[in-house]
Amino acid sequence: MANSNLPRRIIKETQRLLSEPAPGISASPSEENMRYFNVMILGPTQSPYEGGVFKLELFLPEEYPMAPPKVRFLTKIYHPNIDKLGRICLDILKDKWSPALQIRTVLLSIQALLSAPNPDDPLADNVAKHWKANETEAVETAKEWTRVYANDA
Amino acid sequence: MPALTGPPPEFVGHQQALKVKNDINLRKDTIRLVPDAADPDRRLVSFTFDAVTDGSLVIHYFAKEGKDCNFSSVYPDLQTPTKIPFQKGLAQNYVQPSGSGIDLGFFSLDELSNPSEEVYPLVVYAEASPSPEEGGQTVNPTRAQITLAVIEKHNDDLQVKVVKQILWINGVRYELKEIYGIVNSTEADVPDADDDGMGKECVICLTEPRDTAVFPCRHLCMCSECAQALRLQSNKCPICRQPVEKLMEIKVRSAEP
Repeated sequence: MANSNLPRRIIKETQRLLSEPAPGISASPSEENMRYFNVMILGPTQSPYEGGVFKLELFLPEEYPMAPPKVRFLTKIYHPNIDKLGRICLDILKDKWSPALQIRTVLLSIQALLSAPNPDDPLADNVAKHWKANETEAVETAKEWTRVYANDA
Repeated sequence: MPALTGPPPEFVGHQQALKVKNDINLRKDTIRLVPDAADPDRRLVSFTFDAVTDGSLVIHYFAKEGKDCNFSSVYPDLQTPTKIPFQKGLAQNYVQPSGSGIDLGFFSLDELSNPSEEVYPLVVYAEASPSPEEGGQTVNPTRAQITLAVIEKHNDDLQVKVVKQILWINGVRYELKEIYGIVNSTEADVPDADDDGMGKECVICLTEPRDTAVFPCRHLCMCSECAQALRLQSNKCPICRQPVEKLMEIKVRSAEP
Protein backbone atom coordinates (compact mmCIF):
# COMPACT_ATOMS: atom_id res chain seq x y z
CA MET A 1 0.00 0.00 0.00
CA ALA A 2 2.73 2.39 0.95
CA ASN A 3 4.22 2.04 -2.50
CA SER A 4 1.14 2.80 -4.50
CA ASN A 5 0.79 6.36 -5.69
CA LEU A 6 4.45 7.04 -5.13
CA PRO A 7 5.05 10.50 -6.62
CA ARG A 8 7.02 10.64 -9.84
CA ARG A 9 9.61 12.74 -8.09
CA ILE A 10 10.44 10.02 -5.58
CA ILE A 11 10.68 7.42 -8.34
CA LYS A 12 13.01 9.67 -10.35
CA GLU A 13 15.18 10.50 -7.38
CA THR A 14 15.45 6.83 -6.48
CA GLN A 15 16.41 5.85 -10.03
CA ARG A 16 19.09 8.52 -10.16
CA LEU A 17 20.45 7.59 -6.72
CA LEU A 18 20.83 4.00 -7.83
CA SER A 19 22.19 4.70 -11.31
CA GLU A 20 24.56 7.55 -10.40
CA PRO A 21 25.40 7.27 -6.71
CA ALA A 22 27.38 10.12 -5.16
CA PRO A 23 30.92 9.15 -4.16
CA GLY A 24 31.03 7.63 -0.69
CA ILE A 25 27.25 7.51 -0.39
CA SER A 26 24.78 4.74 -1.04
CA ALA A 27 21.04 4.91 -0.56
CA SER A 28 18.58 2.20 -1.44
CA PRO A 29 14.87 2.08 -0.76
CA SER A 30 13.38 -0.63 1.37
CA GLU A 31 11.26 -3.12 -0.55
CA GLU A 32 8.32 -2.84 1.81
CA ASN A 33 8.28 0.94 1.85
CA MET A 34 9.75 2.93 -0.99
CA ARG A 35 9.77 6.03 1.21
CA TYR A 36 12.22 4.42 3.62
CA PHE A 37 15.89 4.33 2.57
CA ASN A 38 18.83 2.47 3.99
CA VAL A 39 21.79 4.78 3.71
CA MET A 40 25.51 4.30 4.09
CA ILE A 41 28.00 7.14 4.21
CA LEU A 42 31.74 6.54 4.22
CA GLY A 43 33.67 8.69 6.67
CA PRO A 44 35.36 11.43 4.63
CA THR A 45 39.14 11.27 4.24
CA GLN A 46 41.09 13.55 6.57
CA SER A 47 38.24 13.58 9.04
CA PRO A 48 38.11 11.70 12.36
CA TYR A 49 35.56 9.42 10.69
CA GLU A 50 37.87 8.25 7.90
CA GLY A 51 37.68 4.53 7.39
CA GLY A 52 34.26 4.27 9.02
CA VAL A 53 31.05 3.08 7.41
CA PHE A 54 28.08 4.92 8.87
CA LYS A 55 24.56 3.62 8.53
CA LEU A 56 21.63 5.99 8.48
CA GLU A 57 17.93 5.77 7.89
CA LEU A 58 16.10 8.27 5.74
CA PHE A 59 12.35 8.60 5.51
CA LEU A 60 10.36 10.71 3.10
CA PRO A 61 7.22 11.95 4.86
CA GLU A 62 3.91 12.26 3.03
CA GLU A 63 4.51 16.02 2.57
CA TYR A 64 7.90 15.49 0.89
CA PRO A 65 9.25 17.48 -0.96
CA MET A 66 7.37 20.33 0.72
CA ALA A 67 8.70 18.99 4.03
CA PRO A 68 12.28 17.72 4.55
CA PRO A 69 13.21 14.06 4.75
CA LYS A 70 13.72 12.62 8.22
CA VAL A 71 17.28 11.39 8.61
CA ARG A 72 18.99 9.71 11.53
CA PHE A 73 22.34 8.00 12.16
CA LEU A 74 21.97 4.36 13.14
CA THR A 75 25.69 3.95 13.71
CA LYS A 76 26.97 5.50 16.93
CA ILE A 77 29.11 8.53 16.14
CA TYR A 78 31.03 11.04 18.26
CA HIS A 79 30.17 14.35 16.65
CA PRO A 80 29.08 17.69 18.17
CA ASN A 81 26.12 18.03 15.82
CA ILE A 82 24.81 14.48 16.14
CA ASP A 83 23.27 13.28 19.39
CA LYS A 84 23.24 9.83 20.94
CA LEU A 85 19.94 9.01 19.26
CA GLY A 86 21.53 9.75 15.90
CA ARG A 87 19.57 12.93 15.38
CA ILE A 88 21.36 15.46 13.19
CA CYS A 89 21.58 19.21 13.71
CA LEU A 90 21.59 20.52 10.17
CA ASP A 91 19.69 23.61 9.06
CA ILE A 92 18.53 22.19 5.72
CA LEU A 93 16.76 19.40 7.58
CA LYS A 94 14.78 22.01 9.48
CA ASP A 95 14.02 25.64 8.72
CA LYS A 96 16.39 25.90 5.75
CA TRP A 97 14.73 23.07 3.88
CA SER A 98 13.78 23.87 0.31
CA PRO A 99 11.83 21.59 -2.03
CA ALA A 100 14.58 22.15 -4.59
CA LEU A 101 16.87 20.06 -2.38
CA GLN A 102 16.86 16.31 -2.86
CA ILE A 103 17.88 13.11 -1.08
CA ARG A 104 21.24 13.35 -2.81
CA THR A 105 21.91 16.92 -1.69
CA VAL A 106 20.83 16.11 1.86
CA LEU A 107 23.22 13.17 2.08
CA LEU A 108 26.05 15.22 0.58
CA SER A 109 25.41 17.86 3.24
CA ILE A 110 25.59 15.23 5.97
CA GLN A 111 28.83 13.94 4.50
CA ALA A 112 30.16 17.50 4.56
CA LEU A 113 29.07 17.86 8.18
CA LEU A 114 31.33 14.92 9.03
CA SER A 115 34.25 16.80 7.49
CA ALA A 116 33.39 20.01 9.29
CA PRO A 117 32.00 19.51 12.81
CA ASN A 118 30.53 22.70 14.15
CA PRO A 119 30.73 22.78 17.98
CA ASP A 120 29.25 26.31 18.03
CA ASP A 121 25.86 24.96 17.00
CA PRO A 122 25.78 21.83 19.10
CA LEU A 123 23.21 19.12 19.43
CA ALA A 124 25.27 16.89 21.67
CA ASP A 125 26.25 19.36 24.40
CA ASN A 126 28.87 17.27 26.13
CA VAL A 127 30.56 16.38 22.84
CA ALA A 128 30.56 20.02 21.79
CA LYS A 129 32.05 21.07 25.14
CA HIS A 130 34.71 18.43 24.77
CA TRP A 131 35.40 19.63 21.22
CA LYS A 132 35.85 23.23 22.32
CA ALA A 133 37.85 22.44 25.46
CA ASN A 134 40.25 19.98 23.91
CA GLU A 135 39.80 19.42 20.21
CA THR A 136 42.74 17.01 19.84
CA GLU A 137 41.32 14.75 22.51
CA ALA A 138 37.78 14.97 21.12
CA VAL A 139 39.05 14.04 17.66
CA GLU A 140 40.82 11.05 19.22
CA THR A 141 37.56 9.95 20.82
CA ALA A 142 35.77 10.35 17.47
CA LYS A 143 38.43 8.20 15.80
CA GLU A 144 38.12 5.60 18.52
CA TRP A 145 34.33 5.47 18.18
CA THR A 146 34.75 5.16 14.41
CA ARG A 147 37.03 2.13 14.87
CA VAL A 148 34.70 0.53 17.39
CA TYR A 149 31.24 1.26 16.01
CA ALA A 150 31.61 2.10 12.31
CA ASN A 151 33.65 -0.84 11.20
CA ASP A 152 31.22 -3.24 9.59
CA ALA A 153 31.39 -3.16 5.85
CA MET B 1 -3.67 15.31 -0.35
CA PRO B 2 -1.51 15.98 2.68
CA ALA B 3 -3.24 17.82 5.45
CA LEU B 4 -2.29 21.45 5.53
CA THR B 5 -0.82 22.65 8.75
CA GLY B 6 0.42 26.00 9.86
CA PRO B 7 -1.02 29.43 9.23
CA PRO B 8 -3.58 30.00 6.48
CA PRO B 9 -1.95 30.69 3.13
CA GLU B 10 -1.00 34.23 2.41
CA PHE B 11 -2.28 35.60 -0.82
CA VAL B 12 0.35 35.52 -3.50
CA GLY B 13 -0.54 36.76 -6.91
CA HIS B 14 -0.29 34.23 -9.69
CA GLN B 15 -0.50 35.74 -13.10
CA GLN B 16 -0.08 34.78 -16.69
CA ALA B 17 2.66 36.53 -18.59
CA LEU B 18 1.57 39.16 -21.08
CA LYS B 19 3.26 38.84 -24.41
CA VAL B 20 4.82 41.99 -25.83
CA LYS B 21 6.39 41.86 -29.23
CA ASN B 22 9.81 43.37 -29.45
CA ASP B 23 10.67 44.40 -33.02
CA ILE B 24 14.30 45.16 -32.39
CA ASN B 25 16.71 43.58 -30.03
CA LEU B 26 20.20 44.71 -29.36
CA ARG B 27 22.08 41.66 -28.17
CA LYS B 28 23.42 43.06 -24.97
CA ASP B 29 26.43 40.77 -24.71
CA THR B 30 27.75 41.91 -28.11
CA ILE B 31 28.13 45.62 -27.44
CA ARG B 32 31.75 46.83 -27.39
CA LEU B 33 33.99 49.77 -28.07
CA VAL B 34 36.46 49.39 -30.90
CA PRO B 35 39.26 51.86 -31.67
CA ASP B 36 38.71 53.95 -34.79
CA ALA B 37 41.50 53.02 -37.24
CA ALA B 38 41.63 56.61 -38.49
CA ASP B 39 41.86 58.09 -35.00
CA PRO B 40 42.76 55.49 -32.33
CA ASP B 41 41.79 57.80 -29.47
CA ARG B 42 38.22 57.70 -30.57
CA ARG B 43 36.17 54.64 -29.87
CA LEU B 44 33.43 53.34 -32.09
CA VAL B 45 30.42 51.59 -30.69
CA SER B 46 29.78 48.17 -32.17
CA PHE B 47 27.08 45.58 -31.54
CA THR B 48 24.89 42.92 -33.08
CA PHE B 49 21.14 43.36 -33.31
CA ASP B 50 18.05 41.68 -34.67
CA ALA B 51 15.26 43.62 -36.33
CA VAL B 52 12.03 42.26 -37.71
CA THR B 53 11.11 45.63 -39.24
CA ASP B 54 13.08 48.53 -40.65
CA GLY B 55 14.03 51.20 -38.19
CA SER B 56 16.67 53.55 -36.91
CA LEU B 57 19.31 53.84 -34.24
CA VAL B 58 20.50 56.77 -32.20
CA ILE B 59 23.56 56.63 -29.98
CA HIS B 60 23.65 59.05 -27.06
CA TYR B 61 26.56 59.70 -24.71
CA PHE B 62 26.00 60.64 -21.07
CA ALA B 63 22.29 60.68 -21.54
CA LYS B 64 19.49 61.04 -19.09
CA GLU B 65 16.01 59.66 -19.44
CA GLY B 66 13.27 62.21 -19.82
CA LYS B 67 9.54 61.96 -20.25
CA ASP B 68 8.22 59.18 -22.50
CA CYS B 69 11.57 57.46 -22.72
CA ASN B 70 13.24 60.34 -24.51
CA PHE B 71 16.95 60.56 -23.92
CA SER B 72 19.16 63.58 -24.08
CA SER B 73 22.81 64.15 -23.29
CA VAL B 74 23.90 66.16 -20.29
CA TYR B 75 26.78 67.36 -22.50
CA PRO B 76 24.94 68.51 -25.61
CA ASP B 77 28.14 69.88 -27.17
CA LEU B 78 29.81 66.51 -27.15
CA GLN B 79 28.08 65.11 -30.16
CA THR B 80 24.92 65.71 -32.10
CA PRO B 81 22.86 62.55 -31.97
CA THR B 82 22.14 61.34 -35.48
CA LYS B 83 19.56 58.89 -36.63
CA ILE B 84 21.07 55.95 -38.40
CA PRO B 85 18.53 54.02 -40.48
CA PHE B 86 18.67 50.25 -40.80
CA GLN B 87 16.73 47.60 -42.66
CA LYS B 88 15.12 44.59 -41.16
CA GLY B 89 17.27 41.52 -40.71
CA LEU B 90 18.57 39.20 -38.03
CA ALA B 91 22.09 39.20 -36.60
CA GLN B 92 23.13 42.47 -38.17
CA ASN B 93 26.45 43.88 -37.10
CA TYR B 94 26.64 47.58 -36.55
CA VAL B 95 29.81 49.65 -36.15
CA GLN B 96 29.72 53.40 -35.92
CA PRO B 97 31.23 54.96 -39.04
CA SER B 98 34.82 56.09 -38.69
CA GLY B 99 35.04 59.60 -37.27
CA SER B 100 31.68 59.54 -35.53
CA GLY B 101 32.87 58.06 -32.25
CA ILE B 102 34.00 60.11 -29.30
CA ASP B 103 37.23 60.26 -27.35
CA LEU B 104 36.39 58.90 -23.95
CA GLY B 105 39.80 59.88 -22.63
CA PHE B 106 38.32 63.16 -21.38
CA PHE B 107 36.21 61.39 -18.83
CA SER B 108 37.25 59.90 -15.55
CA LEU B 109 36.74 56.21 -15.07
CA ASP B 110 34.40 57.04 -12.29
CA GLU B 111 32.18 59.04 -14.57
CA LEU B 112 32.20 56.23 -17.13
CA SER B 113 31.44 53.41 -14.76
CA ASN B 114 29.18 55.01 -12.16
CA PRO B 115 26.09 56.59 -13.58
CA SER B 116 25.25 59.38 -11.18
CA GLU B 117 21.78 60.83 -11.11
CA GLU B 118 20.72 58.34 -13.76
CA VAL B 119 23.14 59.60 -16.38
CA TYR B 120 24.21 56.68 -18.53
CA PRO B 121 27.52 57.01 -20.39
CA LEU B 122 26.20 55.08 -23.37
CA VAL B 123 22.62 54.79 -24.56
CA VAL B 124 21.48 53.10 -27.75
CA TYR B 125 17.96 53.99 -28.78
CA ALA B 126 16.68 51.56 -31.41
CA GLU B 127 13.31 52.38 -32.88
CA ALA B 128 11.15 50.43 -35.28
CA SER B 129 9.75 52.36 -38.21
CA PRO B 130 8.08 49.86 -40.49
CA SER B 131 8.04 50.77 -44.18
CA PRO B 132 4.62 51.66 -45.69
CA GLU B 133 4.00 48.19 -47.10
CA GLU B 134 4.42 46.81 -43.60
CA GLY B 135 1.67 49.07 -42.37
CA GLY B 136 3.93 52.01 -41.63
CA GLN B 137 1.48 54.69 -42.70
CA THR B 138 -1.19 53.72 -40.20
CA VAL B 139 -1.07 55.46 -36.88
CA ASN B 140 2.09 53.96 -35.56
CA PRO B 141 3.06 54.59 -31.98
CA THR B 142 6.66 54.30 -31.04
CA ARG B 143 8.12 50.87 -30.57
CA ALA B 144 11.65 51.14 -29.28
CA GLN B 145 14.25 49.25 -27.32
CA ILE B 146 16.67 51.31 -25.33
CA THR B 147 19.93 49.91 -24.04
CA LEU B 148 21.65 51.71 -21.19
CA ALA B 149 25.28 50.96 -20.50
CA VAL B 150 28.26 51.96 -18.44
CA ILE B 151 31.90 51.74 -19.47
CA GLU B 152 34.43 49.94 -17.35
CA LYS B 153 38.15 49.49 -17.63
CA HIS B 154 39.41 45.92 -17.60
CA ASN B 155 43.06 45.14 -18.33
CA ASP B 156 43.60 48.58 -19.86
CA ASP B 157 40.70 48.06 -22.19
CA LEU B 158 37.39 49.86 -22.10
CA GLN B 159 34.46 47.49 -21.93
CA VAL B 160 30.77 48.18 -22.17
CA LYS B 161 28.48 46.75 -19.55
CA VAL B 162 24.76 46.89 -20.16
CA VAL B 163 22.93 47.79 -16.97
CA LYS B 164 19.38 48.11 -18.21
CA GLN B 165 17.24 47.59 -21.25
CA ILE B 166 13.92 49.32 -21.66
CA LEU B 167 11.09 48.62 -24.05
CA TRP B 168 8.95 51.60 -24.94
CA ILE B 169 5.93 50.18 -26.68
CA ASN B 170 2.64 51.92 -27.40
CA GLY B 171 3.25 54.35 -24.61
CA VAL B 172 4.11 51.73 -22.00
CA ARG B 173 7.57 51.48 -20.51
CA TYR B 174 8.85 47.99 -19.71
CA GLU B 175 12.14 47.15 -18.14
CA LEU B 176 13.71 44.02 -19.53
CA LYS B 177 14.93 41.60 -16.93
CA GLU B 178 16.42 38.24 -17.39
CA ILE B 179 14.59 35.22 -16.07
CA TYR B 180 16.97 32.68 -14.58
CA GLY B 181 16.44 29.23 -16.00
CA ILE B 182 14.51 30.15 -19.13
CA VAL B 183 17.17 29.34 -21.72
CA ASN B 184 16.60 25.67 -22.25
CA SER B 185 13.03 25.40 -21.14
CA THR B 186 11.89 24.75 -24.69
CA GLU B 187 13.65 21.40 -24.55
CA ALA B 188 11.67 20.26 -21.56
CA ASP B 189 9.37 18.12 -23.65
CA VAL B 190 12.15 15.75 -24.63
CA PRO B 191 10.77 12.56 -23.11
CA ASP B 192 12.69 11.66 -20.02
CA ALA B 193 15.76 13.62 -21.01
CA ASP B 194 18.03 12.05 -18.48
CA ASP B 195 20.00 14.69 -16.76
CA ASP B 196 21.39 15.16 -13.31
CA GLY B 197 18.40 16.94 -11.89
CA MET B 198 19.76 20.32 -12.89
CA GLY B 199 17.71 20.15 -16.04
CA LYS B 200 14.63 21.82 -17.34
CA GLU B 201 12.04 20.09 -15.25
CA CYS B 202 10.27 21.63 -12.32
CA VAL B 203 12.55 21.39 -9.26
CA ILE B 204 9.67 20.09 -7.19
CA CYS B 205 8.04 17.30 -9.19
CA LEU B 206 11.10 16.68 -11.40
CA THR B 207 8.59 15.84 -14.10
CA GLU B 208 6.75 18.75 -15.69
CA PRO B 209 8.49 21.51 -17.64
CA ARG B 210 9.30 24.67 -15.73
CA ASP B 211 6.88 27.41 -16.67
CA THR B 212 6.43 29.52 -13.56
CA ALA B 213 8.84 32.19 -12.41
CA VAL B 214 9.12 33.57 -8.90
CA PHE B 215 9.32 37.31 -8.36
CA PRO B 216 11.20 39.39 -7.34
CA CYS B 217 14.09 36.91 -7.55
CA ARG B 218 13.20 35.82 -11.12
CA HIS B 219 13.89 32.10 -10.72
CA LEU B 220 11.96 30.13 -13.30
CA CYS B 221 12.04 26.84 -11.47
CA MET B 222 8.60 25.29 -11.13
CA CYS B 223 5.64 24.03 -13.08
CA SER B 224 2.41 25.89 -12.42
CA GLU B 225 0.87 23.05 -10.46
CA CYS B 226 3.79 22.73 -8.03
CA ALA B 227 3.95 26.52 -7.77
CA GLN B 228 0.33 26.49 -6.61
CA ALA B 229 1.10 23.74 -4.12
CA LEU B 230 4.19 25.55 -2.87
CA ARG B 231 2.38 28.78 -2.16
CA LEU B 232 0.07 26.96 0.21
CA GLN B 233 3.00 25.73 2.24
CA SER B 234 5.74 28.30 2.03
CA ASN B 235 6.41 31.83 0.88
CA LYS B 236 10.02 31.22 -0.09
CA CYS B 237 11.60 30.63 -3.46
CA PRO B 238 12.86 27.03 -3.64
CA ILE B 239 16.10 28.17 -5.24
CA CYS B 240 17.16 31.15 -3.13
CA ARG B 241 14.67 31.23 -0.21
CA GLN B 242 13.77 34.87 -0.88
CA PRO B 243 10.16 35.69 -0.07
CA VAL B 244 7.79 35.16 -2.96
CA GLU B 245 5.83 38.24 -3.93
CA LYS B 246 4.41 37.01 -7.17
CA LEU B 247 4.34 33.96 -9.38
CA MET B 248 4.20 34.33 -13.12
CA GLU B 249 3.37 31.65 -15.59
CA ILE B 250 5.43 32.00 -18.73
CA LYS B 251 4.47 29.80 -21.63
CA VAL B 252 7.68 29.69 -23.55
CA ARG B 253 6.52 27.37 -26.26
CA SER B 254 3.15 28.84 -27.13
CA ALA B 255 3.19 29.68 -30.82
CA GLU B 256 2.71 33.13 -32.27
CA PRO B 257 -0.91 33.76 -33.24
